[in-house]
Amino acid sequence: MRPVAIVGAGKTPFGAFPDLDLRALAVVAGQKTLENAGLEPGAIESFYLGNFAGPEFTSQNHLAPYISSALGMAGIPATRFEAACASSGAAFFQAFMGVASGIYDIVMVVGVEKMTCQPTPRVTEILSGAGDCATEVKAGSTFPSLFAMIARRHMHDFGTTREHLSAVAVKNHANGALNPDAQMRKVITLEQAMNARPIAEPLNLYDCSLISDGAAAVVLCAADRAREFSDRPVKILGVAQASDWVALDQKPDITTFAAVRGAAKKAYEMAGLAPGDIQFAELHDCFTIAEIVAMEDLGFVERGRGGFFTAEGGTRRDGPMPINASGGLKSKGHPVGATGVAQICDLVQQIRCEAGERQLQRHSVGLAQNLGGSGATCVVTILGDA
Amino acid sequence: MRSGVVYTETVVHLAPERFAADVPYQVAIVKLKDGGRVTVRIEGDRVAIDDAVVESRIHEGISFFRKSDSTDQ
Repeated sequence: MRPVAIVGAGKTPFGAFPDLDLRALAVVAGQKTLENAGLEPGAIESFYLGNFAGPEFTSQNHLAPYISSALGMAGIPATRFEAACASSGAAFFQAFMGVASGIYDIVMVVGVEKMTCQPTPRVTEILSGAGDCATEVKAGSTFPSLFAMIARRHMHDFGTTREHLSAVAVKNHANGALNPDAQMRKVITLEQAMNARPIAEPLNLYDCSLISDGAAAVVLCAADRAREFSDRPVKILGVAQASDWVALDQKPDITTFAAVRGAAKKAYEMAGLAPGDIQFAELHDCFTIAEIVAMEDLGFVERGRGGFFTAEGGTRRDGPMPINASGGLKSKGHPVGATGVAQICDLVQQIRCEAGERQLQRHSVGLAQNLGGSGATCVVTILGDA
Repeated sequence: MRSGVVYTETVVHLAPERFAADVPYQVAIVKLKDGGRVTVRIEGDRVAIDDAVVESRIHEGISFFRKSDSTDQ
Protein backbone atom coordinates (compact mmCIF):
# COMPACT_ATOMS: atom_id res chain seq x y z
CA MET A 1 0.00 0.00 0.00
CA ARG A 2 1.45 3.38 -0.98
CA PRO A 3 0.89 6.78 0.72
CA VAL A 4 -1.99 8.96 -0.52
CA ALA A 5 -2.46 12.74 -0.31
CA ILE A 6 -5.29 15.21 -0.83
CA VAL A 7 -4.35 17.83 -3.44
CA GLY A 8 -7.66 19.64 -3.87
CA ALA A 9 -10.76 20.36 -1.79
CA GLY A 10 -13.90 22.40 -2.35
CA LYS A 11 -17.53 22.62 -1.39
CA THR A 12 -20.71 24.59 -1.88
CA PRO A 13 -22.11 26.58 1.02
CA PHE A 14 -24.73 24.52 2.90
CA GLY A 15 -28.33 25.73 3.05
CA ALA A 16 -31.56 25.76 1.07
CA PHE A 17 -30.87 26.45 -2.61
CA PRO A 18 -34.10 26.21 -4.64
CA ASP A 19 -32.27 27.14 -7.86
CA LEU A 20 -29.63 24.40 -7.64
CA ASP A 21 -30.63 20.79 -8.29
CA LEU A 22 -28.66 17.77 -7.05
CA ARG A 23 -26.37 17.63 -10.09
CA ALA A 24 -25.75 21.38 -10.14
CA LEU A 25 -24.63 21.28 -6.49
CA ALA A 26 -22.25 18.38 -7.16
CA VAL A 27 -20.83 20.05 -10.27
CA VAL A 28 -20.14 23.30 -8.42
CA ALA A 29 -18.21 21.42 -5.70
CA GLY A 30 -16.36 19.28 -8.26
CA GLN A 31 -15.31 22.27 -10.37
CA LYS A 32 -14.12 24.21 -7.31
CA THR A 33 -12.02 21.21 -6.33
CA LEU A 34 -10.47 20.76 -9.77
CA GLU A 35 -9.59 24.45 -9.73
CA ASN A 36 -8.13 24.12 -6.23
CA ALA A 37 -5.90 21.26 -7.45
CA GLY A 38 -5.07 23.00 -10.75
CA LEU A 39 -6.34 19.96 -12.65
CA GLU A 40 -8.32 19.44 -15.84
CA PRO A 41 -11.24 16.95 -15.66
CA GLY A 42 -9.33 14.65 -18.04
CA ALA A 43 -6.71 14.00 -15.34
CA ILE A 44 -9.21 12.17 -13.10
CA GLU A 45 -9.01 8.38 -13.50
CA SER A 46 -11.95 7.27 -11.35
CA PHE A 47 -14.99 8.99 -9.81
CA TYR A 48 -16.51 8.08 -6.43
CA LEU A 49 -19.86 9.53 -5.38
CA GLY A 50 -21.28 9.54 -1.86
CA ASN A 51 -25.06 10.05 -1.80
CA PHE A 52 -27.63 8.69 0.61
CA ALA A 53 -31.07 9.15 -0.92
CA GLY A 54 -30.93 11.09 -4.19
CA PRO A 55 -33.51 8.78 -5.79
CA GLU A 56 -35.97 9.31 -2.90
CA PHE A 57 -35.39 13.07 -2.61
CA THR A 58 -35.23 13.90 -6.35
CA SER A 59 -36.41 10.80 -8.32
CA GLN A 60 -33.06 10.72 -10.16
CA ASN A 61 -31.05 7.52 -10.00
CA HIS A 62 -27.80 6.34 -11.66
CA LEU A 63 -26.20 9.37 -10.11
CA ALA A 64 -22.45 8.82 -10.43
CA PRO A 65 -22.11 8.96 -14.25
CA TYR A 66 -24.95 11.52 -14.31
CA ILE A 67 -22.68 13.84 -12.33
CA SER A 68 -19.21 12.82 -13.55
CA SER A 69 -20.18 13.31 -17.20
CA ALA A 70 -21.42 16.81 -16.42
CA LEU A 71 -17.99 17.46 -14.89
CA GLY A 72 -16.33 16.46 -18.18
CA MET A 73 -15.27 13.00 -17.00
CA ALA A 74 -17.32 10.70 -19.26
CA GLY A 75 -15.45 7.46 -19.88
CA ILE A 76 -13.91 6.72 -16.48
CA PRO A 77 -15.41 4.39 -13.83
CA ALA A 78 -18.07 6.29 -11.88
CA THR A 79 -19.83 4.66 -8.93
CA ARG A 80 -22.20 5.76 -6.16
CA PHE A 81 -21.71 4.60 -2.56
CA GLU A 82 -24.56 4.54 -0.05
CA ALA A 83 -23.99 4.16 3.68
CA ALA A 84 -26.65 6.48 5.11
CA CYS A 85 -25.01 9.61 6.59
CA ALA A 86 -21.59 8.00 6.09
CA SER A 87 -22.10 7.68 2.31
CA SER A 88 -19.31 10.03 1.28
CA GLY A 89 -17.01 8.76 4.04
CA ALA A 90 -17.47 5.32 2.50
CA ALA A 91 -16.82 6.71 -0.99
CA PHE A 92 -13.67 8.41 0.32
CA PHE A 93 -12.44 5.13 1.85
CA GLN A 94 -12.90 3.33 -1.51
CA ALA A 95 -11.16 6.17 -3.36
CA PHE A 96 -8.25 5.97 -0.94
CA MET A 97 -7.93 2.23 -1.64
CA GLY A 98 -8.02 2.86 -5.40
CA VAL A 99 -4.94 5.06 -5.13
CA ALA A 100 -3.18 3.25 -2.27
CA SER A 101 -3.39 -0.02 -4.22
CA GLY A 102 -1.63 1.53 -7.20
CA ILE A 103 -4.59 1.10 -9.59
CA TYR A 104 -5.09 4.86 -9.98
CA ASP A 105 -2.86 7.91 -9.44
CA ILE A 106 -5.57 10.62 -9.33
CA VAL A 107 -9.23 10.21 -8.34
CA MET A 108 -12.13 12.43 -7.29
CA VAL A 109 -14.65 11.92 -4.49
CA VAL A 110 -17.85 13.98 -4.40
CA GLY A 111 -20.52 13.90 -1.70
CA VAL A 112 -23.91 15.47 -2.36
CA GLU A 113 -27.46 15.62 -1.00
CA LYS A 114 -30.45 17.68 -2.09
CA MET A 115 -33.01 17.61 0.76
CA THR A 116 -34.94 20.87 0.92
CA CYS A 117 -37.06 19.96 -2.11
CA GLN A 118 -39.23 17.78 0.22
CA PRO A 119 -41.43 18.84 3.17
CA THR A 120 -40.08 18.02 6.68
CA PRO A 121 -42.37 15.00 7.41
CA ARG A 122 -41.26 13.43 4.11
CA VAL A 123 -37.60 14.18 4.90
CA THR A 124 -38.07 12.47 8.28
CA GLU A 125 -39.55 9.45 6.49
CA ILE A 126 -36.72 9.22 3.93
CA LEU A 127 -34.12 9.48 6.69
CA SER A 128 -35.91 6.69 8.58
CA GLY A 129 -34.90 4.39 5.74
CA ALA A 130 -31.43 4.32 7.32
CA GLY A 131 -32.95 2.44 10.27
CA ASP A 132 -34.42 -1.08 10.37
CA CYS A 133 -37.75 -0.56 8.61
CA ALA A 134 -39.21 -3.94 9.64
CA THR A 135 -38.74 -3.35 13.38
CA GLU A 136 -37.74 -0.02 14.95
CA VAL A 137 -39.09 2.22 12.18
CA LYS A 138 -42.35 0.25 12.00
CA ALA A 139 -42.84 0.83 15.74
CA GLY A 140 -42.65 4.59 15.19
CA SER A 141 -38.94 5.37 15.61
CA THR A 142 -37.55 8.36 13.76
CA PHE A 143 -33.87 9.28 13.66
CA PRO A 144 -34.22 11.90 16.37
CA SER A 145 -36.01 9.28 18.49
CA LEU A 146 -33.21 6.70 18.09
CA PHE A 147 -30.64 9.23 19.28
CA ALA A 148 -33.05 10.38 21.99
CA MET A 149 -33.08 6.80 23.32
CA ILE A 150 -29.26 6.80 23.26
CA ALA A 151 -29.29 10.11 25.17
CA ARG A 152 -31.75 8.78 27.78
CA ARG A 153 -29.59 5.73 28.47
CA HIS A 154 -26.35 7.80 28.51
CA MET A 155 -27.94 10.15 31.04
CA HIS A 156 -29.10 7.18 33.13
CA ASP A 157 -25.74 5.37 33.09
CA PHE A 158 -23.29 8.29 33.36
CA GLY A 159 -25.13 11.31 34.78
CA THR A 160 -25.02 13.24 31.51
CA THR A 161 -27.45 16.16 31.80
CA ARG A 162 -29.82 18.19 29.63
CA GLU A 163 -27.37 21.08 30.08
CA HIS A 164 -24.47 18.97 28.75
CA LEU A 165 -26.41 18.28 25.53
CA SER A 166 -27.14 21.98 25.09
CA ALA A 167 -23.48 22.86 25.72
CA VAL A 168 -22.65 20.96 22.50
CA ALA A 169 -25.23 22.99 20.56
CA VAL A 170 -24.11 26.33 22.00
CA LYS A 171 -20.44 25.62 21.20
CA ASN A 172 -21.13 24.43 17.64
CA HIS A 173 -23.34 27.42 16.89
CA ALA A 174 -20.63 29.77 18.21
CA ASN A 175 -18.18 28.16 15.76
CA GLY A 176 -20.62 28.06 12.85
CA ALA A 177 -21.41 31.75 13.29
CA LEU A 178 -17.83 32.39 12.07
CA ASN A 179 -18.13 30.05 9.06
CA PRO A 180 -19.21 31.86 5.88
CA ASP A 181 -20.37 28.54 4.35
CA ALA A 182 -22.52 27.50 7.33
CA GLN A 183 -26.31 27.22 7.00
CA MET A 184 -27.22 28.63 10.42
CA ARG A 185 -24.73 31.37 11.33
CA LYS A 186 -26.41 32.17 14.59
CA VAL A 187 -25.03 32.30 18.11
CA ILE A 188 -27.45 30.73 20.62
CA THR A 189 -27.54 30.99 24.42
CA LEU A 190 -27.62 28.02 26.79
CA GLU A 191 -31.11 29.11 27.86
CA GLN A 192 -32.38 29.11 24.24
CA ALA A 193 -30.78 25.72 23.60
CA MET A 194 -32.35 24.18 26.71
CA ASN A 195 -35.85 25.52 26.16
CA ALA A 196 -36.45 24.84 22.46
CA ARG A 197 -39.49 22.82 21.43
CA PRO A 198 -39.21 19.05 21.96
CA ILE A 199 -38.57 16.79 18.93
CA ALA A 200 -38.02 13.43 20.67
CA GLU A 201 -37.53 13.73 24.43
CA PRO A 202 -34.98 14.51 25.80
CA LEU A 203 -33.85 16.01 22.46
CA ASN A 204 -35.22 19.35 21.33
CA LEU A 205 -34.91 21.39 18.15
CA TYR A 206 -31.41 22.65 19.02
CA ASP A 207 -30.12 19.12 19.59
CA CYS A 208 -30.84 18.23 15.97
CA SER A 209 -28.80 18.96 12.87
CA LEU A 210 -30.34 20.72 9.90
CA ILE A 211 -32.08 19.76 6.67
CA SER A 212 -29.71 20.96 3.99
CA ASP A 213 -28.65 21.08 0.36
CA GLY A 214 -24.93 20.90 -0.34
CA ALA A 215 -21.96 19.18 -1.92
CA ALA A 216 -18.28 18.71 -1.14
CA ALA A 217 -15.38 17.21 -3.09
CA VAL A 218 -11.73 16.24 -2.81
CA VAL A 219 -9.05 15.03 -5.21
CA LEU A 220 -6.78 12.24 -3.96
CA CYS A 221 -3.40 11.57 -5.49
CA ALA A 222 -0.43 9.24 -4.98
CA ALA A 223 1.68 11.06 -2.38
CA ASP A 224 4.84 10.95 -4.52
CA ARG A 225 3.05 12.98 -7.21
CA ALA A 226 1.24 15.37 -4.88
CA ARG A 227 3.66 18.30 -5.30
CA GLU A 228 2.90 18.35 -9.04
CA PHE A 229 -0.56 19.64 -8.18
CA SER A 230 -0.40 21.39 -4.83
CA ASP A 231 2.04 23.46 -2.77
CA ARG A 232 0.19 22.30 0.30
CA PRO A 233 -0.82 18.65 -0.07
CA VAL A 234 -2.39 17.06 2.98
CA LYS A 235 -1.41 13.51 3.83
CA ILE A 236 -3.94 10.75 4.66
CA LEU A 237 -2.29 9.30 7.76
CA GLY A 238 -5.00 6.75 8.46
CA VAL A 239 -8.49 5.84 7.26
CA ALA A 240 -10.75 2.93 8.19
CA GLN A 241 -14.37 1.86 8.00
CA ALA A 242 -16.36 -0.46 10.27
CA SER A 243 -19.95 -1.69 10.56
CA ASP A 244 -22.53 -2.88 13.08
CA TRP A 245 -26.22 -3.87 13.26
CA VAL A 246 -28.59 -1.31 11.72
CA ALA A 247 -31.28 -1.72 14.41
CA LEU A 248 -30.50 0.06 17.67
CA ASP A 249 -32.19 -2.70 19.69
CA GLN A 250 -29.63 -5.25 18.41
CA LYS A 251 -26.70 -3.41 19.99
CA PRO A 252 -25.80 -4.75 23.44
CA ASP A 253 -24.92 -1.26 24.78
CA ILE A 254 -26.31 1.80 23.01
CA THR A 255 -24.13 4.30 24.93
CA THR A 256 -21.14 3.34 22.77
CA PHE A 257 -20.78 2.63 19.04
CA ALA A 258 -18.82 -0.52 18.20
CA ALA A 259 -18.35 0.69 14.62
CA VAL A 260 -16.76 3.94 15.81
CA ARG A 261 -14.40 2.10 18.14
CA GLY A 262 -13.57 -0.41 15.39
CA ALA A 263 -12.84 2.18 12.71
CA ALA A 264 -10.89 4.35 15.16
CA LYS A 265 -8.67 1.48 16.29
CA LYS A 266 -7.70 0.66 12.70
CA ALA A 267 -7.20 4.29 11.69
CA TYR A 268 -4.99 4.98 14.74
CA GLU A 269 -2.96 1.84 13.95
CA MET A 270 -2.49 2.84 10.31
CA ALA A 271 -1.39 6.33 11.37
CA GLY A 272 0.80 5.05 14.21
CA LEU A 273 -0.94 7.55 16.47
CA ALA A 274 -2.89 7.52 19.73
CA PRO A 275 -5.96 9.61 20.65
CA GLY A 276 -3.69 12.03 22.55
CA ASP A 277 -1.81 12.84 19.31
CA ILE A 278 -4.94 14.24 17.62
CA GLN A 279 -4.96 18.04 17.79
CA PHE A 280 -8.49 18.76 16.56
CA ALA A 281 -11.49 16.87 15.20
CA GLU A 282 -14.63 17.12 13.11
CA LEU A 283 -17.17 14.73 14.67
CA HIS A 284 -20.55 13.59 13.40
CA ASP A 285 -22.92 15.68 15.55
CA CYS A 286 -26.13 14.73 13.75
CA PHE A 287 -27.54 15.13 17.28
CA THR A 288 -25.78 16.66 20.27
CA ILE A 289 -25.57 13.29 22.05
CA ALA A 290 -23.75 11.83 19.01
CA GLU A 291 -20.83 14.23 19.52
CA ILE A 292 -20.63 13.27 23.21
CA VAL A 293 -20.61 9.53 22.47
CA ALA A 294 -18.13 9.96 19.58
CA MET A 295 -15.52 11.79 21.65
CA GLU A 296 -15.69 8.95 24.17
CA ASP A 297 -15.47 6.18 21.56
CA LEU A 298 -12.51 7.90 19.90
CA GLY A 299 -10.66 7.93 23.22
CA PHE A 300 -10.49 11.73 23.63
CA VAL A 301 -12.14 11.40 27.06
CA GLU A 302 -13.07 8.52 29.34
CA ARG A 303 -16.43 6.81 28.83
CA GLY A 304 -19.24 8.84 30.31
CA ARG A 305 -17.18 12.03 30.54
CA GLY A 306 -18.07 13.58 27.15
CA GLY A 307 -20.88 15.76 28.45
CA PHE A 308 -18.90 16.98 31.45
CA PHE A 309 -15.83 17.73 29.26
CA THR A 310 -18.01 19.75 26.85
CA ALA A 311 -19.66 21.74 29.65
CA GLU A 312 -16.19 22.55 31.05
CA GLY A 313 -15.22 24.06 27.66
CA GLY A 314 -12.84 21.24 26.71
CA THR A 315 -14.05 21.11 23.10
CA ARG A 316 -14.16 24.84 22.36
CA ARG A 317 -11.72 26.33 19.82
CA ASP A 318 -9.50 27.45 22.71
CA GLY A 319 -9.93 24.19 24.65
CA PRO A 320 -7.54 21.23 24.86
CA MET A 321 -9.45 19.25 22.16
CA PRO A 322 -11.29 21.54 19.72
CA ILE A 323 -14.24 19.70 18.18
CA ASN A 324 -16.25 20.92 15.21
CA ALA A 325 -14.53 24.27 14.74
CA SER A 326 -16.50 24.37 11.47
CA GLY A 327 -19.80 24.54 13.37
CA GLY A 328 -20.43 20.84 12.86
CA LEU A 329 -23.52 19.33 11.30
CA LYS A 330 -25.49 21.27 13.92
CA SER A 331 -24.72 24.75 12.56
CA LYS A 332 -22.87 24.18 9.29
CA GLY A 333 -25.69 21.97 7.98
CA HIS A 334 -26.07 18.26 7.20
CA PRO A 335 -26.72 17.39 3.55
CA VAL A 336 -26.28 13.76 4.57
CA GLY A 337 -24.43 12.39 1.54
CA ALA A 338 -22.07 15.38 1.50
CA THR A 339 -21.17 15.36 5.18
CA GLY A 340 -18.27 12.87 5.20
CA VAL A 341 -16.31 14.67 2.48
CA ALA A 342 -17.27 18.07 3.90
CA GLN A 343 -15.64 17.06 7.20
CA ILE A 344 -12.48 16.14 5.24
CA CYS A 345 -12.60 19.57 3.52
CA ASP A 346 -12.84 21.21 6.96
CA LEU A 347 -9.75 19.33 8.17
CA VAL A 348 -7.86 20.29 4.99
CA GLN A 349 -8.80 23.93 5.50
CA GLN A 350 -7.45 23.92 9.08
CA ILE A 351 -4.26 22.03 8.16
CA ARG A 352 -3.61 24.50 5.32
CA CYS A 353 -4.25 27.42 7.70
CA GLU A 354 -7.15 28.69 5.58
CA ALA A 355 -9.89 28.69 8.23
CA GLY A 356 -9.97 32.45 8.80
CA GLU A 357 -11.49 33.46 12.13
CA ARG A 358 -11.96 29.79 13.06
CA GLN A 359 -8.28 28.92 12.54
CA LEU A 360 -7.01 26.75 15.37
CA GLN A 361 -3.59 27.19 16.95
CA ARG A 362 -2.73 23.49 16.80
CA HIS A 363 -3.76 22.30 13.35
CA SER A 364 -1.25 19.81 11.98
CA VAL A 365 -3.05 16.51 12.86
CA GLY A 366 -6.85 16.32 12.56
CA LEU A 367 -9.43 13.52 12.73
CA ALA A 368 -12.83 13.21 11.03
CA GLN A 369 -15.52 10.76 12.21
CA ASN A 370 -18.46 10.13 9.86
CA LEU A 371 -21.35 8.05 11.24
CA GLY A 372 -24.10 6.28 9.30
CA GLY A 373 -27.52 5.66 10.83
CA SER A 374 -27.55 4.97 14.55
CA GLY A 375 -24.00 3.62 14.30
CA ALA A 376 -24.20 0.89 11.63
CA THR A 377 -21.39 2.45 9.56
CA CYS A 378 -18.46 4.55 10.68
CA VAL A 379 -15.51 5.97 8.75
CA VAL A 380 -12.62 7.53 10.67
CA THR A 381 -9.98 9.54 8.79
CA ILE A 382 -6.79 11.08 10.18
CA LEU A 383 -5.07 13.78 8.12
CA GLY A 384 -1.78 15.56 8.66
CA ASP A 385 0.71 18.02 7.22
CA ALA A 386 2.49 16.40 4.27
CA MET B 1 -48.00 -11.98 26.34
CA ARG B 2 -44.38 -10.92 26.48
CA SER B 3 -43.04 -8.90 29.38
CA GLY B 4 -39.83 -7.20 30.37
CA VAL B 5 -38.24 -3.97 31.58
CA VAL B 6 -37.64 -0.68 29.80
CA TYR B 7 -34.01 -0.36 28.62
CA THR B 8 -34.53 3.11 27.16
CA GLU B 9 -37.40 5.28 25.93
CA THR B 10 -38.38 8.53 24.22
CA VAL B 11 -41.52 10.55 23.57
CA VAL B 12 -41.77 11.44 19.87
CA HIS B 13 -43.13 14.89 18.97
CA LEU B 14 -42.18 15.08 15.28
CA ALA B 15 -43.15 12.07 13.18
CA PRO B 16 -43.55 11.06 9.55
CA GLU B 17 -47.03 11.55 8.08
CA ARG B 18 -48.21 8.00 8.77
CA PHE B 19 -47.70 8.50 12.54
CA ALA B 20 -48.60 12.21 12.66
CA ALA B 21 -52.01 11.52 14.23
CA ASP B 22 -50.36 9.63 17.13
CA VAL B 23 -48.04 12.47 18.24
CA PRO B 24 -46.89 12.70 21.00
CA TYR B 25 -46.28 8.97 21.44
CA GLN B 26 -43.76 6.96 23.42
CA VAL B 27 -41.34 4.43 21.92
CA ALA B 28 -39.17 2.17 24.05
CA ILE B 29 -36.61 -0.59 23.73
CA VAL B 30 -37.75 -3.36 26.05
CA LYS B 31 -35.41 -5.98 27.47
CA LEU B 32 -37.62 -9.07 27.34
CA LYS B 33 -37.88 -11.43 30.27
CA ASP B 34 -37.29 -14.36 27.93
CA GLY B 35 -34.23 -12.75 26.36
CA GLY B 36 -33.59 -10.33 23.56
CA ARG B 37 -34.64 -6.74 23.01
CA VAL B 38 -37.46 -5.29 20.98
CA THR B 39 -38.50 -1.76 19.97
CA VAL B 40 -42.15 -1.18 20.89
CA ARG B 41 -44.84 1.45 21.27
CA ILE B 42 -45.97 2.31 24.81
CA GLU B 43 -49.64 2.98 25.59
CA GLY B 44 -51.26 4.15 28.80
CA ASP B 45 -48.99 5.72 31.42
CA ARG B 46 -45.57 6.93 30.37
CA VAL B 47 -42.72 4.66 31.37
CA ALA B 48 -39.12 5.25 32.44
CA ILE B 49 -35.92 3.18 32.35
CA ASP B 50 -36.20 0.02 34.53
CA ASP B 51 -40.03 0.12 34.64
CA ALA B 52 -41.71 -3.27 34.27
CA VAL B 53 -43.88 -3.51 31.14
CA VAL B 54 -46.13 -6.10 29.54
CA GLU B 55 -47.36 -6.52 25.97
CA SER B 56 -50.95 -5.31 25.71
CA ARG B 57 -51.73 -5.87 22.02
CA ILE B 58 -50.32 -6.17 18.54
CA HIS B 59 -51.94 -3.82 16.04
CA GLU B 60 -50.98 -3.71 12.33
CA GLY B 61 -47.72 -5.46 13.16
CA ILE B 62 -46.77 -3.00 15.90
CA SER B 63 -46.25 -4.30 19.44
CA PHE B 64 -47.85 -2.16 22.14
CA PHE B 65 -46.65 -2.51 25.73
CA ARG B 66 -47.99 -0.91 28.90
CA LYS B 67 -46.73 -0.41 32.42
CA SER B 68 -47.07 -3.56 34.47
CA ASP B 69 -48.25 -3.69 38.09
CA SER B 70 -46.23 -6.82 38.61
CA THR B 71 -42.75 -6.45 40.04
CA ASP B 72 -42.11 -10.09 39.21
CA GLN B 73 -39.68 -9.58 36.34
